[in-house]
Amino acid sequence: MKIRVFASFMVLLACCFGLIVLADNHEEENNMLVFPEAYTPMKVNGGGKITGLVKFEGEVPEMKKLDINKDKVVCGKEPKFDESVVVGENKELKNTIVYLMDIVKGKDFDAESKKPEIDQEGCKFTPHVQIVPVGARLTMLNNAPITHNVHILLNDADMGQDINKSQNRMLKKLRIKGIAKAGGPVEVKCDIHSWMKAYIAYVPHPYFAVTNEKGEFTLENVPPGTYKLGFWHEVCGTNNKEPQTVTVAAGGEVKQDFTLKLPE
Amino acid sequence: MRTTFFVLFILMFSLFVVTLTSYTQEAPEVSERGKEVYEESCAHCHGIEGRGDGSAAENLLPRPRDFTGGVYKIRSTESGELPTDQDLFDIITNGMPGSSMPEWESALSADDRWELVAYIKTFYSGFQELKESETLPRLINLTGKVKYSQESVEIGKVLYTELGCIECHGNVGRGDGTSAPTLVDSWDYRTWPANLSQGWNYRGGSTTEDIFKRFIGGIAGSPMPAFEGDTFYHFGLTPEESKRAVELENKEEITPEDEAEYAKYSEKMENAIDAALDRAEGTELTPEAQKIYDDAMKVVYEKSWHLANYVKSLSPEKRPEYAIGNNVLRSQYKEGDLPTFDDAEWETLESSYYPLVGQVIVEPRQFNPTIDSVNVKSFYNDTEVAFLFTWDDRTNNTSVEETENFGQSFIDGLAIQFPVKVPKGPTDEKPYFLWGGRKPVYLWQWMASEPETIKELTAKGMSNAGLQEDQGNVQAESEYKEGQYRLWVKRALKTEDKKDLQIEPAVFVPIAFSAWDGANGDIDTKRAITSWYTFVLEPVPSSRRFIYPPLVALLSLGLLVGLRQFVQRKNT
Repeated sequence: MKIRVFASFMVLLACCFGLIVLADNHEEENNMLVFPEAYTPMKVNGGGKITGLVKFEGEVPEMKKLDINKDKVVCGKEPKFDESVVVGENKELKNTIVYLMDIVKGKDFDAESKKPEIDQEGCKFTPHVQIVPVGARLTMLNNAPITHNVHILLNDADMGQDINKSQNRMLKKLRIKGIAKAGGPVEVKCDIHSWMKAYIAYVPHPYFAVTNEKGEFTLENVPPGTYKLGFWHEVCGTNNKEPQTVTVAAGGEVKQDFTLKLPE
Repeated sequence: MRTTFFVLFILMFSLFVVTLTSYTQEAPEVSERGKEVYEESCAHCHGIEGRGDGSAAENLLPRPRDFTGGVYKIRSTESGELPTDQDLFDIITNGMPGSSMPEWESALSADDRWELVAYIKTFYSGFQELKESETLPRLINLTGKVKYSQESVEIGKVLYTELGCIECHGNVGRGDGTSAPTLVDSWDYRTWPANLSQGWNYRGGSTTEDIFKRFIGGIAGSPMPAFEGDTFYHFGLTPEESKRAVELENKEEITPEDEAEYAKYSEKMENAIDAALDRAEGTELTPEAQKIYDDAMKVVYEKSWHLANYVKSLSPEKRPEYAIGNNVLRSQYKEGDLPTFDDAEWETLESSYYPLVGQVIVEPRQFNPTIDSVNVKSFYNDTEVAFLFTWDDRTNNTSVEETENFGQSFIDGLAIQFPVKVPKGPTDEKPYFLWGGRKPVYLWQWMASEPETIKELTAKGMSNAGLQEDQGNVQAESEYKEGQYRLWVKRALKTEDKKDLQIEPAVFVPIAFSAWDGANGDIDTKRAITSWYTFVLEPVPSSRRFIYPPLVALLSLGLLVGLRQFVQRKNT
C-alpha cells in the first residue's frame, strides 16, 4: 500500500516537473513570432485588407529618461526616453508588430521592403522595430561623426552567432549581411552607446506591419481566406497562445483592433 | 634543373595551402572519459549541462562560459564562425589570463584535454551540424604579417583612433574609454574592456597574431565587434585611390570630371562590399568577385597588422617580475630636497610591481578585483621619505553614485600599510596582513574624493581601525589621467607620534597595499589587497668604505710585523 502511495506521489511529482519544463519552453516561444513552415510568393489578384488599431490598457508606465553619458553634443541634443512602451494620447500603442501567422501563399516583398534601413541619427535607432525580409541586407545609417557598433543578438533567438560590426565615424552606411533564417524579433544594440536598443524581425513573407504613433496597422493585398492574426510587443508580449482569427474576403476590408496590457 | 625548380615550387605551394586550411589536430569521438573529466574538473563552474551555471558561477566575473549557445570568445576563425577544435584545446590548455579560467596543462594530460574538447562540443548542436555539412569554419587569414617597427606602430596608432578603439579602450589603451563603465556581455553581466597596457591579462594571449585575430574576428559574446573588411573606410580602394577619394570628398568645387572619377571609386567600393557580403552569406564567389574581395582584403589585412603592432606596443612584453612576499621596495637615498609630484627625477627609478588579489577572507568579499597591481618608487634623504604610487583604474570615482545598471558605485582609494613596530628580526612575528590583529598596523589611507589628503590610521583588524588623533604628518598630491592614478606621498622619517612607524635606514619594514575601485563596487573590506612585502631605505653608500678597509689592512700588517719581531726577539 505504502509503495503504491509513494509511486503515485512520484508520478504526480514527475508530471508537475514535466509541466514546469513545458511551461518553460512555451515561455520562450511566446516571445517570438510564429511563421508558416514554408511560404510561396505568387501574384495576388483581388486581395483584401486588414486594418486595425492597437491600444494599451492599464496604467501607462512612465517613459524613463535615458542617461546620455557619452557624445553628448550629438546624442544629447534633446532628452531621450526609453521607447519600450510608447503610448499616445488616446492610449494608442506604437511599435507593435501585427502579422499573419499561417499564410503560406501570397504577395512577394516589394522593392522598398527589400532594402530595410535603420538610422542612428542622434544616437537612437529609427525605427525602433524594423521588419527585415529573410536574405535582405539591412543598411545602418550614420550621418554624424560618431562611432557606433551594430550588435544584433541573433544567438538569443537560436539564429546562429551574433553579428557585431564596428561602424566607425567615417562610415555613413554599413550594410549587414542577409539572414537566411526567419526569426526574432531580436535585439539590436550599440555597446558604445548603452541606451541604444531596437528590434529586428527577420520574416519570410511580407504580411507584417508595425503600428505607428496612432497605433494603426495595415496589411494589404491579402489573398482571400481565413488566417491567424498575431501581434508582438517587446513588453506586452504576444497572442501566440490565442491568436485572433480573421477572414478576408476578396477585395474586402477587415477591421481588427487589439488591446494590450503589461504582463502580470 | 627546371624540373627540380618546379617540384620545389609545388612542394612549397602545397605547404602553403596546408598551413592555410588544415588544423593541427581534431578532437576524438566523444567518450565516457570526456564526460568524466568534465564532471570532475569543469562542471563546478560550467555546470553539469554546460550552461555556465555551476555552483561557483555566481561569484565569478566574467561568468563561466555557457556552452549551449556555441558562443566562444577566443577563436582563430572569422566572425560568425564556431571555433576550431584546436582553439578549444588551446583555451583549456592555456586558460584565460585575467579571468577565473585556469590553465589545465599541468593538471590534465593532453589526451584528457582532447576528450574534453569532444565532450564540450556536444553541448551545442551547431558543432554536429557543421560536421555533417562537411565544411570547416573559416580561419582568419594570417598571411602577410607586417613586421613590428616604429613606423608600423605609428600607422596603427592613427587607425586605433579612426576605428574608434578609444571609445572603450581609451586614448592610451588602459581600458578607460568613455563607454567602459556601461558595457555588458551578451548575458547582461558587466564586462570591462581590456586594459591593453597589461598584455598578461589578455584572455586569448598577447602575441601580435592573437591581437590580430581578436581584432578581425571580434570577441563573441562581448561588446568587442569584428573589424571585418567592410567596416574599414574606403573598403575596396587601394591606398592611393583612397587618398584621391578623400581629396575629392573634401573638394569644394566639383567638376564633372571629378564626379566621374568619384563614381568609379564608388562602384569599386560597392563591388567589394557586395563580394564581402555574398561571402559572409555563404554564396560562392565568382573568380572575378573573389579577386575583388582578395584585393580589398589585402589592404584591410595590412592595416590590421599595423593596428596589432600598435596594440602590441602598449604593453610590456611580460608581466613585471615579482616574487610574492619577497619583492623589496628599495628607497633610494638622495641628497637635498626630495623630488616633488611632477619631478622628472622619478623617471630615473625603476618601479617595484605589487600584484593585487581580491580580498576573500572577510565579508563582504571581492572575488573579481579590477585593479591589477600597484607600482611604487621611493626616494629618501636625511629627514624625509617620498613615494610615488601608480595604479591603473578604468574609472575615476570621486563620490558615491547610483549607476544605471550596476547598483551603487563607490569612491576609489589606496591604502599603504606598515606595522606600528618593526619586527626585530625574521623570527619576530608581523601583524596580521589584513589590517593587523593583536599587533597593530599603521596605515596611510588615500581616497579619490580628497586627492591631496592622506589620513593616518591605526588598526587592529578590519573592523577595528581608527583615525589617529595626530593627523597631517603625511603630505600627498595626486592625479587621475588616462586610466591611471599617480599618488605622491611624503613624510618625515621620524615623528613625535608614538602610534606612527618610525623609519630608519637599512631596516627592513613590512609593507602592504589595498586598493579600491569604486566602479567595481569596492568599499570597506570589498577590495583588492596584497600580503606583506618589504620596504627598506637602501643604506647610503658610505664614504667610510674608503677609510676603514685600508686602515684595517694597515693595522693587520702592523700587527703581523709586530708579531714577527716579537717571535724573532724571543727566539734570539
